[in-house]
Amino acid sequence: MDLNKALDISAAGMDAQTMRLRVIAENLANQDTTGSAPGADAYRRKTITFENRVDASTGAPTVRVKQIGQDKTEQTLRYDPSNPAANTDGYVKTPNVNSFIEVMDMREAERSYSANLSVLQATRTMLDRTIDLLK
Amino acid sequence: MTEIGLFTLAEQRLAWADQRQAVLAQNIANASTPGFQPSDLPSFARTLENVASVAPVQTQPGHLAGTSGGPLQPVTEKDAHGPDGNGVQLDAQLTKVADTETTQSLVTSIYKKYMSLFSLALGHSQ
Repeated sequence: MDLNKALDISAAGMDAQTMRLRVIAENLANQDTTGSAPGADAYRRKTITFENRVDASTGAPTVRVKQIGQDKTEQTLRYDPSNPAANTDGYVKTPNVNSFIEVMDMREAERSYSANLSVLQATRTMLDRTIDLLK
Repeated sequence: MTEIGLFTLAEQRLAWADQRQAVLAQNIANASTPGFQPSDLPSFARTLENVASVAPVQTQPGHLAGTSGGPLQPVTEKDAHGPDGNGVQLDAQLTKVADTETTQSLVTSIYKKYMSLFSLALGHSQ
């Protein structure tokens, strides 16, 4: 039945958005994480991409996390000779996390999650109504 | 019962709403998938046209099946493109979901009403 399939698809969508939120939380939490050895790389911002794949158990195309990658942009240097991660010139690599981007991404994940939830609720109402026909 | 066209029609419309809901759920779930293009079912009127048309008969095993009739196929829409090649617009999709839900509600109400008319005719009190 297609309505059950729709429930599965929406649930997978919510799952994917939850994962996205997890990555955002990780990025924001590590906004100030520098390396520990002198000259070491700081925390690299993580990225997440999705793909549409046919789920073998249900036969429905569902959304899944394709890859959690790393943002390759340059890490900016900050002058802080007292930091244990400072290189010989006294510069420390700082994480390439931009909190504005993360917060915007978080909002988008939130909206997407609630859109999936709306569809889930609509599908449930439709299922209920169909079952009510038996009464 | 099958002579009463309304029940067949209601069944087809419900099947259409079911399938459309699955298609729309897929569109919304893929709102952030790069390169994903949303799809939608053809309108119900178009579906009925397909039902009314005569399907070609396969008299030889080598004959190809006709393209008319058969199960509904979602059509991919190519409207807007985001920077990542994704064409899903959440507002448009959610409007469609609401529309499908209303349609389904209408059909089930009519179906119920007809059923209650039957039971009235049979002398059952409501």
